[in-house]
Amino acid sequence: MLNVDLFVNGLIVGVLYALMAVGLTLIFGILKVVNFAHGEFYMLGSYAYTLGAAALGISPWLALPLAPVVGGVVGLVTERLLMRPLYSGYSSWGFLKDEYAVVVTFAFSILLVNLVDKVVGPYPVLGPALVDVSRFRAGPIMLSGQKALATVIGVAVIVALAFAVRSTAWGRRIQAVAQNRLGASLAGIDPARVSMTVFGAAGALAALAGALLAPIINASPDVGAFPAVKSYVIVVLGGMGSMTGSILASLVLGVLESFGAVYISYGYRDTFGLVILVLVLLVRPQGFFGEQGRVV
Amino acid sequence: MSKGFSRQLAVLVAAAAMAASIPANAADPIKIGVPLAQSPPGSVVQGVQVKDGLEIVKDMVNKQGGVNGQQITLIYEDDQGIPEKGRAAVEKLITRDKVVAIVGPHQSSNCLAEIEVAKRYDIPYVNTNCWSDDIRKKGYKQVFNPANYNSRVAFAMAETLSGLGVKRVVAFCENTDYGIGQAKAVAEALKKKSPNVEYHFETLDRTSKDFTPAIVPLRSNPPDAVLMMMLPPAAYIVMNQLYEQGVAPSDKTWLYDGAGLGDYPDFWQNVKEAGKNLIEFGLYHPNMGVPKLGQEVGKTYQEKTKHEPNRLIYQAADSLLLVVEAIKNAKSTKPDAIIKALESMQFSGVRGSFKFSEEPGVSYHQWVDIPYVTYQFTEVGEPVSKTTLVQGPNLPLSVDKLKKAK
Repeated sequence: MLNVDLFVNGLIVGVLYALMAVGLTLIFGILKVVNFAHGEFYMLGSYAYTLGAAALGISPWLALPLAPVVGGVVGLVTERLLMRPLYSGYSSWGFLKDEYAVVVTFAFSILLVNLVDKVVGPYPVLGPALVDVSRFRAGPIMLSGQKALATVIGVAVIVALAFAVRSTAWGRRIQAVAQNRLGASLAGIDPARVSMTVFGAAGALAALAGALLAPIINASPDVGAFPAVKSYVIVVLGGMGSMTGSILASLVLGVLESFGAVYISYGYRDTFGLVILVLVLLVRPQGFFGEQGRVV
Repeated sequence: MSKGFSRQLAVLVAAAAMAASIPANAADPIKIGVPLAQSPPGSVVQGVQVKDGLEIVKDMVNKQGGVNGQQITLIYEDDQGIPEKGRAAVEKLITRDKVVAIVGPHQSSNCLAEIEVAKRYDIPYVNTNCWSDDIRKKGYKQVFNPANYNSRVAFAMAETLSGLGVKRVVAFCENTDYGIGQAKAVAEALKKKSPNVEYHFETLDRTSKDFTPAIVPLRSNPPDAVLMMMLPPAAYIVMNQLYEQGVAPSDKTWLYDGAGLGDYPDFWQNVKEAGKNLIEFGLYHPNMGVPKLGQEVGKTYQEKTKHEPNRLIYQAADSLLLVVEAIKNAKSTKPDAIIKALESMQFSGVRGSFKFSEEPGVSYHQWVDIPYVTYQFTEVGEPVSKTTLVQGPNLPLSVDKLKKAK
């Protein structure tokens, strides 16, 4: 029974990791850089939901959409103001691009954490639950209503996103820009617009994850650090730019940490993912489902 | 050079000469350094409360004319709860800001780093809220501890657990000097008080957000008591996940907190049902009685913030009052004179009267018999003032007042 419990809990955690990581994957797929402020999109979503529900006095269900809206807007603004120089008329950035992205997104992350700390305050706040079920038994496992709902919503959003990226016109534009920016623009696709949309979507997804988890993981200025680090590991494990890889890696990581914490050592829980990361990079550096590009 | 310019230059030189001749310390404020966490990953919640307590006393003292005619100025540095930053903060306060004393530190890992700097420069360091026994055991004459210490908590918890007749105890402690130190101290105390109790502690990463893998195994084999030695926000997440998994508090398992979480202003907002039936080790309870000065500080805090005062406010207040009193007694702001005064004086503060012990070890420069309380929350949202007090100064432990969750 313990093993079933650990497996199911691991999968649940994996789904929530996936919700964070797919956004980062999309960003890397398009811009080939890592956004170190991604965790702060999560944090902003957590606060938008929690404080929005309290300040507006509305039902948590009505407050929930606030999070992806806030995350989306911040994502759009981040891309427009901070990331646009990476590919828009600055030929020298091609060679300093990675360093620029690291520095600017890292600095943005520090700015956001400290801004929220000073403006909103340092006290953690627990978000309102979407359902008033503090715990229930589902077979061998115990869950809170919020955790169960967050998992269901997370799965639905990930499936919808995967479908959108594969099968819609918008998704095909993203794939085109991810494969070859120049080629896409020659085909009449505006890469800057696609990049902005992707950043907005990534921000919205991370913020939604923050909102869904706010009743479980209290919102605080530094709450984004933990899911962000997991996301970076997942993105590399899954293959940078591969959504399928990210989802699979998230589930694997969640289950691995769950079992490893009990059967090996809880103290080393966060290192399991890093150990797997190193092994995967040694054996298969492109990750589970490394991205394949086309050269025009 | 024109006549007009020469005249102006002469006036300037005269003014400069006058300024230089004014004694430097005529009305200079007394600078006291305060390293505390004002941003993550440190415990900003604690930092804010410590600052509140210090500011109340600073204003009180300055309103009464200051110390020996000099006003007090507090110079804050944000150590972020990171030991290296704490060390740098104290170095800067001493060497650049020329503070006469350090007050306010509240996280043990930072204290352990900072006291090395205080020792090097021979500056008095008043430990406001660092509980690690190691700070005392170092025996640094510059360091004074009006704060609680892990061995005191361990003694209290072992006494309560022994009274409850528990056989198996699991503790969750954070991966810091405070957390691990307290977990080990409880192990030692239980060995003496109840040698037959099976005790095990698990160290949890305070930056982590999911503790379910550590909690789930306890469901199939619940212990008689789960102890917590963690600070927010991780502590709140652990409590919520213990409750979600049905581990503690339950009809089989007590939940007992050794970190004094119950009087944090954001406690109930963050734990809700998970806090019901929590047994709490505390350093302040409205029914324990505080001196008149303490009542004044508590009232001022309540008027300013609309929250009930808690032990951090009083600890901070006492920390600053100790330095003020030492300066008055020594009639000097020289650090070594302040240290001598702190060592020898009988102090009456907001929490009571005491003299620092000279006994080496965990009692060194410590308020040894610091009063504590044990109480239990029995309703969600219950203020500390309405909780069931089961032990306090002049109130022997009565475990029969404790209720298990249904």
